[in-house]
Amino acid sequence: MKDRLFASRWTKLALFAALAVGAPLVLSDNRYFAFIAGITLIHIVWASGMNLLYGYTGLMPLMFAGIAGISAYIVVGLTGTGWTFWLAMPVGALASSVVGMLLGLPALRLKGFYFTLCSLVIQTVITLAFVYFVTLTNGDTGISQIPLPTLPGGVSLQGLGYDLVLAGLAVAGIFILIRLTDSDFGRRLVAIREDDALAETLGINVTRQKMTAFFIGSMYASIGGAFYAPYVGFISPRSFDVLISLNVWLMVAFGGRGTIWGPVIGATLLAPVPFLLQDYYTIKDVVYGLLIIGVIVLLPAGIAGGIKRKRTSALPATATAVGTEKAR
Amino acid sequence: MLLSTLSSGLMLGVIFSLVAVGVTIVYGSIWMPNAANGQFFLLAALFIWSVSVSWGVHPALAALLVIGASVPLSYLLEITLIRRFYDVPNRNISYFVLSLGITQILAGLFSITYGVWSDQFQIPPLVPGVTFVGPFPIANSRLAALVTAAVLLASLFALLRYHRYGRALRAVFQNREAAALRGVDVRGIYRMSFVLGNAVVFAGGVLFACAYSFDLTVSWTMAITAFAIMIIGGPGSVLGALVVGMVFGFTQAIVSLFASPTTAAFSYLGAMLIILLFKPSGLFAR
Amino acid sequence: MNAPLLDARDVTMRFGGLIALRAVSVSQAAGETLGMIGPNGSGKTTFVNVITGHLKPNAGTVRFDGASLIGQKPHQIAGAGLTRTYQAVRVFRELTVRENIATALVDAKDRLDAAGIGEVIDWLGLGHRLDVFAGGLTLYEQRRLELLMRLVQRPKLLMLDEPVGGLSSTEVRAMIALLAELKSRCSVFIIEHTMKVIRELADRVVVLMAGEKIADGAPADILTDQRVVEKYLGSVDA
Repeated sequence: MKDRLFASRWTKLALFAALAVGAPLVLSDNRYFAFIAGITLIHIVWASGMNLLYGYTGLMPLMFAGIAGISAYIVVGLTGTGWTFWLAMPVGALASSVVGMLLGLPALRLKGFYFTLCSLVIQTVITLAFVYFVTLTNGDTGISQIPLPTLPGGVSLQGLGYDLVLAGLAVAGIFILIRLTDSDFGRRLVAIREDDALAETLGINVTRQKMTAFFIGSMYASIGGAFYAPYVGFISPRSFDVLISLNVWLMVAFGGRGTIWGPVIGATLLAPVPFLLQDYYTIKDVVYGLLIIGVIVLLPAGIAGGIKRKRTSALPATATAVGTEKAR
Repeated sequence: MLLSTLSSGLMLGVIFSLVAVGVTIVYGSIWMPNAANGQFFLLAALFIWSVSVSWGVHPALAALLVIGASVPLSYLLEITLIRRFYDVPNRNISYFVLSLGITQILAGLFSITYGVWSDQFQIPPLVPGVTFVGPFPIANSRLAALVTAAVLLASLFALLRYHRYGRALRAVFQNREAAALRGVDVRGIYRMSFVLGNAVVFAGGVLFACAYSFDLTVSWTMAITAFAIMIIGGPGSVLGALVVGMVFGFTQAIVSLFASPTTAAFSYLGAMLIILLFKPSGLFAR
Repeated sequence: MNAPLLDARDVTMRFGGLIALRAVSVSQAAGETLGMIGPNGSGKTTFVNVITGHLKPNAGTVRFDGASLIGQKPHQIAGAGLTRTYQAVRVFRELTVRENIATALVDAKDRLDAAGIGEVIDWLGLGHRLDVFAGGLTLYEQRRLELLMRLVQRPKLLMLDEPVGGLSSTEVRAMIALLAELKSRCSVFIIEHTMKVIRELADRVVVLMAGEKIADGAPADILTDQRVVEKYLGSVDA
């Protein structure tokens, strides 16, 4: 019955694909707006990865942007030494996910706030490392004029083409997230989020599942980071600092943790904000800060969570009705 | 050289301890890991700078004004935001995120307002002149700040150890339900602790401003340092905050002789990470 | 006689300076229902936590079904067929009953088939509640859901930590009836501090007092044991 009332998730994915491809097409006359759409698509990938960790597993990894950054720096470094982007991207993404997992491995034993704090410390160390290892990262100045990926035939991937690749990436990211959360693996993650001790008692290997989730989430961060660098053409330690992690987290929390589409909506609404506020750039932090507080205080389940709750709160009532009918 | 290192270690140590004690009082009672402590610290330092430089108020009076101002500010925060979460499960993570939001707002506001000021912020001397300790001149202001901070720390310690409030606070920290059953006004203790903890952080910022010139980045350094001290000393442990704070102060004084402040930050982060991973309850856990 | 199903020997557990368990030895044969009683703080739950791998004992051996459990993680021990419930009822409150069951099945090594699951659901009377959030169930229903989530895994031994805690007196009666039937489905280990449950269900009783085993025998004998009556019943059950 639910399926008749609400489009199934595959219909929704098709709809999203149409929008993701359509937006850059429609906006292709205005490079600036198309660029905002592209950045939003990258944030949708990031938000989906963060959603797997925060929404489904209950981990809040504030080192998320740091992992994306490691990948971006590796890819830029490798292409700088003559590698093609299409080889550098998977290598960089894999390497940074492994680094991320190794860094996160000890922290995964910790719970709740302690994990978050630990990930914040790790993020800070990563940022300091970006600043400190000047020979690799060019320090605070950052790396500019990052070359665009080249396609077979020697043409650069740019403009609309790049936007469409990002659209494909976002659709693939969401598709994979749907498949993952529908599987036994997804069920284990939700069990861990809800009560990890109980999950363990029921035979679920909590540490291993968390590690796997963390690796996959890091892959989302890394691939997003790898595509971000050439798209924007400039990276610096500020591109991947804790505020970015927090902003991606905010997209998930604002949209609705633990739902597929909530974080996508969250990213779509929030990723363009810095660009819209460009003339008042300095108040961006204040706006994000207010949003964070607003979400925590007013919308703990996010937009989608709020809707879902309303829909399902009817259920116990129905059950009681059935009970009374029986009694009669 | 030794003496000046010693005195600067002592000075930094008491400031670190003060801020960490403030942070740990708040965490120990309401479970709020206040990541915005560095911004509160900076807020206090900027306030006293504005009051004493722009309005020309004597720093001693300005210090009292600023610390006094923290009380209504804390109350306002407590009423609007903090008390909503007193009964939320896993509230420490909600509070942590909340305080990150506050951090972002304050950092944004500071960069819009005070950020246009390019110099270091320096307030007029609290007490004019210098005192010679052996061959070394030490500014009287710094000496006064040192003594004040030490007196504050001692009285805080006495308050928490011997006063009725301190015993109630410890009871709430150990077991909230049991404390409530024994007739402790848990919410009252929460409110009181939030106000007191922030006042202590403000005092740290004010005294820091009396002893040193500073810029906006101090909020970031202080936030990391205070958190590291709290985690290493044991969240909620005032003694731990005191001891580790002093150790950090001397470490920083010694490290700054031959390395950059970044190295000090790195080492704090490393130490915090190790404690988090191997003894999350801290060295002085109760 | 066959080797016991559960064989814990000289289990010692220290928390800092406090000794929670002092060389406790307990064994349970397959098919036997073992009760454990003792006042609050006597170490009963600690004992279950040690057996199920939530705590690592300072000394002692634990063997289950012929293999050592020391150093095994809770999820491995669950996989070996030894599972437990909690003193404070523990279900996935934000998930529906159906999802709770599915979660219990996801890593079960030796699960019931669909017909078997249906039979257990009917036996526990939860068939009409499958689409309700577990948090919306009554306490008694949650207690039954806990049993359900364990039984679909076909455990060899189920350790129940105060299964009637918080229930009304009619619910206690109903729960005791259920537990009496449960004995035919797997071996049962029950912690209780109300004598009533133990008296009706247990084949044998172990008494813990301040971390030490002070008695071990048939319920009727234990209840007449002067020490137990004085130390325990005299103060609690009166």
